[in-house]
Amino acid sequence: MRRAARLALVGVAVAAPWLVARVAPGQQRYVVHVLIFTVLFAALALSYDLVVGHVGALSLAHPAFFGVGAYTAALLATRAGWPFLADVLAAVVLAGAVALVAGVPLFRLTEHAFAVGTLAFALVAWIVATNWVDVTRGPLCVTGIPKPVTTLPAWYWLALGALGVVLLLYRGMTTFRLGRALHAVRDNAPLAAAAGIDPLRYRMLAFVAGGALAGGVGGIYAHYLSVFCPEEMTIALTVNLLVIVFLGGVGTLRGVLVGAVLFTALPEVLRLAPTWRLVIYGALLLVIVIRSPQGLDGLFRRAASASGR
Amino acid sequence: MALLEVRGLVKRFLGVTAVDGVDLTVGAGELVSLIGPNGSGKTTLFNCVTGYLGADAGRVLFRGEDVTRRPPHRIARLGLGRTFQHVSVFDRLSALENLLVFLQQHQEESVLARLVRTRRVRRLEAAAVERARALLDLVGLGPKSDAPAGSLSYGQRKLLAFAAALMPDPELILLDEPAAAVNPTMINQMKDHILALHRQGKTIVLVEHNMDVVMDISERVVVLDHGQKIAEGPPAAIRRDAGVIEAYFGR
Repeated sequence: MRRAARLALVGVAVAAPWLVARVAPGQQRYVVHVLIFTVLFAALALSYDLVVGHVGALSLAHPAFFGVGAYTAALLATRAGWPFLADVLAAVVLAGAVALVAGVPLFRLTEHAFAVGTLAFALVAWIVATNWVDVTRGPLCVTGIPKPVTTLPAWYWLALGALGVVLLLYRGMTTFRLGRALHAVRDNAPLAAAAGIDPLRYRMLAFVAGGALAGGVGGIYAHYLSVFCPEEMTIALTVNLLVIVFLGGVGTLRGVLVGAVLFTALPEVLRLAPTWRLVIYGALLLVIVIRSPQGLDGLFRRAASASGR
Repeated sequence: MALLEVRGLVKRFLGVTAVDGVDLTVGAGELVSLIGPNGSGKTTLFNCVTGYLGADAGRVLFRGEDVTRRPPHRIARLGLGRTFQHVSVFDRLSALENLLVFLQQHQEESVLARLVRTRRVRRLEAAAVERARALLDLVGLGPKSDAPAGSLSYGQRKLLAFAAALMPDPELILLDEPAAAVNPTMINQMKDHILALHRQGKTIVLVEHNMDVVMDISERVVVLDHGQKIAEGPPAAIRRDAGVIEAYFGR
């Protein structure tokens, strides 16, 4: 039954551009554009949740890896003429490598100090992107990044494919033995060590995997917009990711996906009421935080157990 | 050859010498208790032996191998298990998963093998689940195997932590106050479990304040006071030792 529901969901996700064409033919371009953003944000949020939700390290460095990936792909494509897949792969590798190098000193910090350290790292990355004009063109942005596919539905399916890859990796890493080791480190690191688990190794694993995937999403994102500017990798991105992950349901696949759909699409839907848009958005966030500290997924679970399933 | 050998171990905290040149030798199959007033250095000694604290001087040898500077997870994998004084479980994992965590790291498969779930990994997992279920039944937590560990009672979590330490079948087990703050029925249950392990030939070092338990089951008792070893011997002799009585009750 659950398997059937999941298949149906995948079917709807794949058929979305057609469905949109049927339901809102005049709005198709706009709606599919929002869907592409939603899918890319879902992939990015899942990569972030690996770190925040599964080893419990409150990293604020994610925009740095997203940016490293975006610049890697953008520059390789525009200056060296690399093909799309090759430069996105390079973005994955380089963002992962940066996460590896940054993670070694950062994980000497714990708890709040770690959060502040990663925040500083993200700020430094943003300042470098803004000021290293010879390479990044700074505030002039990297422009003319070639698009591997041209139609919006094709972009949607490409983004959906990327989300599929991230989803499979996320599932593989967060369940079974690997997931159990990550969760053991999250719940109680000293006890995990008594079980023979090296906490640092698993924290690094999640941090590097999350960073590498964020880099890949960044690369695809840069190709999609065909422009990439330093403002894309500010703390505002961290805030969006925190909202998606924590209000969706930290450490849960379903919660993060629901969070991504809701918090990417909702601000767009609320454009219908432009004056009240941000007020409604803010009020909704507050209500969720107060009513369900475990996020929307916690709400679903309680509703499901209340209805006796 | 002794299984565990501690030589001249010293640990200082900001000028306070918590462990002050302690020697301790534990032979294979022994059941030794470590007692002493609060703050006498028992838990600090445990933490130095298991790699949680770096010793300022002295050496720790396990099976003749120097483990003094090794990190905790490496020492654990050598077959030196421990429990913690304050109950310590993985709250959000189920009781069963708590036990599984303790075995899987000893099976050293690669990250990739676990990601793609090779046949070998799945076979190891099945065997681990079987062992975990048996251990949960042994400590009477079989019906709770799918409950999150955080939802169990204090005593149940203590039993769970004990069972988890047994998962990798360690040669030496350090138990830090297994009978503290649990009800009398459970104390007896814990005592029986420890004796059963001892009969199986496991080596056990026990830190415990409950003198009835200590005197009842130990073969040898080591007494610490102010970080120093002040007495060592069979329970009956320790009971009569003037130095020990003074350390506990004052003059």
